[in-house]
Amino acid sequence: MALALALLLLAAQNPAAPPAKVAASIARVFGPGARIDTLRVDSEPVLRVSRADSLLGFAQVGNVLGKDQPITFLVAIDPADRLKDVDILVYREPYGGEVAYEPWRRQFRGKTAADSLRVGREIRSISGATISVHAVTLGVRRLLADLTAWHQRGAIR
Amino acid sequence: MQRCFSWGLCCALAAALPQAAFAQERTTLGGYGELHYTNLTGPNTPGVVNLARFVAYLAHTFDERLTFRSELEVENAKVEGGQPGGEVSLEQAYLDYRLADWLTLRTGLVLPPVGIINETHEPPTFNGVDRPGFDTDVIPTTWREIGVGAVGTIPGGSGLAYRVYLVNGLRADGFSASQGIREGRQEGREASFANPSFTGRLEWARPGWKIGGSFWYGGTANADSVLGTGSFAAPITLVSADVRYDAGGASFRGEVANISVSDAGAIDARYGAIVGSRIAGGYVEGAYDVLRLLAPSSPVKLNAFVRHERYDTQASVPAGVTRDRSLARRLTTLGLTYEPTWNTAFKGDYQIVRNAAGVGEHEVLSLGVGYQF
Repeated sequence: MALALALLLLAAQNPAAPPAKVAASIARVFGPGARIDTLRVDSEPVLRVSRADSLLGFAQVGNVLGKDQPITFLVAIDPADRLKDVDILVYREPYGGEVAYEPWRRQFRGKTAADSLRVGREIRSISGATISVHAVTLGVRRLLADLTAWHQRGAIR
Repeated sequence: MQRCFSWGLCCALAAALPQAAFAQERTTLGGYGELHYTNLTGPNTPGVVNLARFVAYLAHTFDERLTFRSELEVENAKVEGGQPGGEVSLEQAYLDYRLADWLTLRTGLVLPPVGIINETHEPPTFNGVDRPGFDTDVIPTTWREIGVGAVGTIPGGSGLAYRVYLVNGLRADGFSASQGIREGRQEGREASFANPSFTGRLEWARPGWKIGGSFWYGGTANADSVLGTGSFAAPITLVSADVRYDAGGASFRGEVANISVSDAGAIDARYGAIVGSRIAGGYVEGAYDVLRLLAPSSPVKLNAFVRHERYDTQASVPAGVTRDRSLARRLTTLGLTYEPTWNTAFKGDYQIVRNAAGVGEHEVLSLGVGYQF
């Protein structure tokens, strides 16, 4: 018991580095071994993901405020500006962590900036996670719109 | 080489992360509240308006892992010395230490994770002006006690989350016939820790679904010489289950609970109340957002709902006691909830209050406003 507690406290002092989480997330979404370059648009960092000479897509990390904590999430799009996946990188709230569940995130796949993404319509909510559901949906809509606009005007390529 | 590459990649990615998210101390304000108008049928029952709840939410984040959260509540708008009614109280006040997604340690004045309403009690989250009677007389919302515990999600994509706490116990001297264990709560006010109690919950979620099961177990004797001085003397055992489901414009929820008061006979003999040896009941509620039909593109909701509750705080009584059948209650509530945004609600409902004895039956018209932010 004491050992378990000591290990936990040790783990707490060495939290998984968020960059490693981003790398793991990109690998999960685009497959392992993808090359990641950081581009900048209006000083906003955007990740360009490619393998050999082919572009796999783009990704961006964002934060939205839940009830009182930032929710750090990643939005990835393919070269046709379709949403590839959403990932919750760090969730800090005490209630509402269900937004990290795959069955909820899955609802965003294949959507484009032209699609409507409304809670309770295209995106089903989860009881007890309402604030996080609204916050992340809004955040995804924003990043998807930004990435699409930047890609279409050639700011990222 | 591999290590070098990974490190380089991490540095590159670190530059890609917005900095605002990390490790800044900050304080967050929020709140919720509700205003009620209620009018009972019958002579000499004028309508009553009441600012039922005004709650200020205050949270402070110390670092990436440590957060304090609290809710300070004023009930019925005003508290004055020597006057009945009104209450100022802390509804929650706890520190969270987040170790991982699957483990957050929590200590303070916490909400036992029992049923739907106790933890999620903001007015826009439920239909009906007032909370269900079941969530007042059977599950004593807003139930809060002091203790320590752990909360988290079970990893591996199972969709499961848990909360477990060790908290101070209930006190049998507050139990009553009509409201069961409700006034046995200590609510963090110089609470006796004679009967440490366990409470917890396991819940499963999918888009549109949430299913949960909860328990509470603990003694209630408070070291009384008659009831017993053991930690688990005069125990109560509560088990409950709940489900929430929504699809399209339709939504459904239900809750059931069973509370066993093992030494009800001894408690009744000691304090004179006639608390049931078993308290049980539940409700089902269905709702439909009628604006889906009238204005399909509108984000505004207008839920028409009906809820039927059946519960009895004397489902069983100790030997030699006659059940008061008026405590076997049946409440049917029909109403509308208008939500211009997801966190504001204008409510109206009509409640038909019945019981197995047919005594004091009446109807209630209620109007209300609720918000959270």
